[in-house]
Parts: sequence; C-alpha cells; structure tokens
Amino acid sequence: MIRAIVISAIVLLASGCQGPSGPPVEILDVEVTAPRGGMGMSAGYLSITNNSDALVSITRVASPQYGKIELHESTLVDGVARMRPVESLEIAAGDTVTLERGGKHLMLMQPADSLDNVTLNFYSGDALLVSIETRVGEAG
Amino acid sequence: MALLAGACSKTPDATIGDNAPTTATVLPAPRPLPEFALVDESGAAQSRSLFEGEWHLLFFGFTNCPDICPTTLATLTSATKELRQRNAGPVPRIVLVSVDPRTDTPERLGEYIAYFGEGTRGLTGSEDALRELTEPLGVYFREVPLDDGYTVDHSAAVLLINPDGEFHALFSGPHKAENFIHDLPLIVGSS
Repeated sequence: MIRAIVISAIVLLASGCQGPSGPPVEILDVEVTAPRGGMGMSAGYLSITNNSDALVSITRVASPQYGKIELHESTLVDGVARMRPVESLEIAAGDTVTLERGGKHLMLMQPADSLDNVTLNFYSGDALLVSIETRVGEAG
Repeated sequence: MALLAGACSKTPDATIGDNAPTTATVLPAPRPLPEFALVDESGAAQSRSLFEGEWHLLFFGFTNCPDICPTTLATLTSATKELRQRNAGPVPRIVLVSVDPRTDTPERLGEYIAYFGEGTRGLTGSEDALRELTEPLGVYFREVPLDDGYTVDHSAAVLLINPDGEFHALFSGPHKAENFIHDLPLIVGSS
C-alpha cells in the first residue's frame, strides 16, 4: 500500500479559535486512492483533528483535480453493505474524526486526466477551513 | 431479511484450536450452485460449469463502489497472493459478480478487475439473469436512488465455491486477509 502524505497544509480557520496544541484543524494520515481502470471514482481516507475550542463542521470538500467530491459513509448492517452521502462532519472541540475503509470517507468523482499531486479544500459553508496537497496512491 | 441463512452453520469444532476455521461458516452439506446464464469480462457466455474443477471466492459488488468493494477485492487479492507464496495447496480464484447491471458492462468489468491480479474473473448480465444466481444463494442486492444518481446495497459476504460447483463455505464481512489465510487451507485441505 502506498500511503499518501500531506505535502502541505494551509489552515485558514480564524486563529482566535486555536487551542493549545497545533493548528486549529489538522489533517493527517491521508490516502487518496487512484481511480481504477478508467472508473470515474475513487476514495479518500484521512483523519481530521479539531484543536480549536469550538465545534467544527465540515460541509463540503472540493478540489481542482476532481469535478465532484462527496462525504459518504459505508455501513455493514445485517450482512448488507450500504453507502450513503453524509451532509457534514461534525468535530467537537478537541476531537478527531477518522475517515477510513468501511466507514466515513471521501468519494472522489470526475477526476482530471492526469492525477499526481492533488489539492483538497475543506469548507464549512462558504468558509475555507483548511487546504492540503497530497499525492495519489494506490488502495491497499 | 434472511441472508444466506438456514443452510449455514459452524462446523462443530469451528472455534477449537489452529486446525479449524475461525471465521468461515462451512455448510454441513455443500449446495450446488443454481443454473445461471451470465457473461464474463470478455463477453463470453458463462454458466455454472465455470466453477467446476477449481476453488473460487465469489464476491458481489460493483465498479462504482469506491470503498467496500475495492477494499474487499484487495483483501482477497492479498490473501490469495500470500497463500500462493506459502504453497498452501489449491488457491481459490477470485470472481466479482456485478450487482450493477445498468453500468457494469463486460468491458468496464474487465478494466476494473484487471487491478486485482491476474486470474480474477468478472460476471455480469441483466438483473433477471443475476437474480437467477443470487436469490437461491440468499445474496441480496438492491438499487437505491440518490439525489444525483444511485447506489447499490449488496451482501458483503464472500462465498467459497468448491471444484464441484457447490456453495461450500461463507465468510461474512468485514473481511480481513488473515482470516482467509488461516481458514482457506483448512477448508480446502479437508475437502
């Protein structure tokens, strides 16, 4: 498995909310899978930590390299796998939300023809909270 | 909803020691697969005889599924690769049966499964043709409309088919490679 790393992160949350440890919103352990065999979609996995002293709500993720990104959640109930859109990710002050296989994840659609480094912008409403750049890897 | 129920039960010693399957549910009496008429990734017609002469791992998914399906197929690929390296007896071939007949043409299926190792097969067909295979096995799938398209709910189980073309054992999700690596040689070796 190739685990992509965060090449750079620009944190834009108002600095007045910053807690004692690190940037107000921190994104780590990023893996963006490559579209397979011309399929129009892949997945993104990562952890988001809210170091601020206020609730953070991520309502949208966008990227210049993808036509559309949705927040999704996979569940396994009574042996049936389901995937549904998620309206937002609510991260309480001091908490971490993990997007992982079989759970919440980013669904990345309409990729650019050539994908190497990609930028992911995380928004709360119209406000850009954090922007990261990462490499596209392969699903493990 | 009854999924793969009734006929399946753990073998009496299924949880005892290292010489018994710990995850798989082995059918007390393997069940012949139903007759079906589907096409493979090359567009060639396939029937129950496809499964004769070799062990197979059957998973039901679709190519527009970005999370559970590729994760499951990567898990199966990893497990079978490890079993081949260990020379652990016959290693089952992986088969993805599409539950999205509206989108998954043979060509699309072929491009997709090529990512999961040489020898991985794909099956697709009309919804009616798919249900001839899935319903007798208790495998569930249903297209679910979304605001901007649709998704497909589907059984997460992996079915082990024996070389006589019979449903032999069941792995329920969520799947881990180590479970297949442990259980498959025990099941295949004892049959």
